[in-house]
Amino acid sequence: MITVKKLGKNFGPLKALDNINFTIAAGEIVTLLGPNGAGKSTLMRLLSGYLEPTAGQIEIFGKTYTSNRRQILSQIGYVPENAPLYGEMTVFEFLKFMSAARNLSAKQIAPQISELSDQFELSEVLNQKCETLSKGFKRRVAIAGVLTSSPRILILDEPTEGLDPNQKYITRQFFKDYAKNNIVIISTHIMEEVTALSSRVILLNKGKLVKDTTAERLSELSPDNNLETAFRRITNKNK
Amino acid sequence: MSKQICLIFQKEFASFFRTRLAYFILGIYLFLSMFCTFYLGLYFDVINANLFSFFYFQVNILMLLIPALTMRLWADEYKTGNIELLLTQPLSYTAVVIGKFLSAWGLCLLLLICSAPLWLFTALNISTDNLNILTSYFGCFLISGSMCAVGCMVSAFNKSPIVAYLASVLLLTLIIIVDYNFVFNTFSFPGNLAIRFTQSLNFFYHQSTLLSGQIGVDNIIYYLSITVFALWLNRITIEYKRG
Repeated sequence: MITVKKLGKNFGPLKALDNINFTIAAGEIVTLLGPNGAGKSTLMRLLSGYLEPTAGQIEIFGKTYTSNRRQILSQIGYVPENAPLYGEMTVFEFLKFMSAARNLSAKQIAPQISELSDQFELSEVLNQKCETLSKGFKRRVAIAGVLTSSPRILILDEPTEGLDPNQKYITRQFFKDYAKNNIVIISTHIMEEVTALSSRVILLNKGKLVKDTTAERLSELSPDNNLETAFRRITNKNK
Repeated sequence: MSKQICLIFQKEFASFFRTRLAYFILGIYLFLSMFCTFYLGLYFDVINANLFSFFYFQVNILMLLIPALTMRLWADEYKTGNIELLLTQPLSYTAVVIGKFLSAWGLCLLLLICSAPLWLFTALNISTDNLNILTSYFGCFLISGSMCAVGCMVSAFNKSPIVAYLASVLLLTLIIIVDYNFVFNTFSFPGNLAIRFTQSLNFFYHQSTLLSGQIGVDNIIYYLSITVFALWLNRITIEYKRG
């Protein structure tokens, strides 16, 4: 369970997020939607513990980052927008490093890497250096990296960017299955993904939460029952 | 905690070799050390029972090479965006800071070990003061630790490894030249106590004692203090830059 209360984040005079409130329970796939600069990535960085809020608080399974940072981080898998990897490492070395960083024992590492490489079709690139991978492979490796410890919360910034249609399908199916017992939060600009994946949409604009609803209900806000039109209507109205 | 330090140490230490930086630095270090020892240090013309020709130039050589080791430790993390990945893992910041520092210091130890054949070569030709040489090596190791910590700290301030390198060399130069007599002469300090106090803070003063093979508790405390202080600043910088 994630509880966000009166959350705010300022970067100097800029209010990146202001008075954000929501609760997310296990079993939900939540999509963060919003135009560029709406505060989606900032919200993800706050949820993942990378940034500290200027105001308000984030409770994850009843705990806050101030007193239980490492305990919370072991339950969260966060993949930033550019899916960073250590270029000089091979995929296997990277997954091994991530497994160890996420407290897996030496015995658990090899079977977990093998399972994830099957799941994300990484077997052929396991011994390849991360810097030589294509964009799609890099993203899959980054996702596999945080999944090594099977975190209860998965936070992914534009997770299917750079993936081919087959991989997009496989990845989305994986997120759907994963969200049955866990929380998945994704940020995307692809409307098709919102309808295909999410059980709930949080729409941000100019740092404020403007809608917290389902994709269907959001679509109904446009005359043609189209999500993209509804998105444009809401975000342009607020400009 | 020690497990996490070990993990970061392994990652960074292996990275020095994966990127071939370690081989490059090792090559340059050995070339510069031998050039300074044999050519500038007039190795064959002076009595080198304590390897004076070698140790005399070590601080200057390390001052140029250690920032090349440390420059990318944090700057690269910021430049590539990997910092977000690293700091959102369940690792303590202190462990990450110490692990990165130890990897650079570990490589310094390797550099010093690789220069040991000179000791052997000297010992085969003349009677050497082995205890003196050993303490001088220990001194070099301590000094390199302080330099690594300062280099790591400067790297944490920068996104560009080149800027981190230049800033580290500049800062280390400043720390070292504070010792020069002109500082005392220019700002005429009142009384002997002030001079002695300032002198005790001097890198050069402690370095001269250490590299002459005379090791004192004050020297050890001095270099360990610089190391700990720089690492503490490094940790604060990481937290501050995180926002």
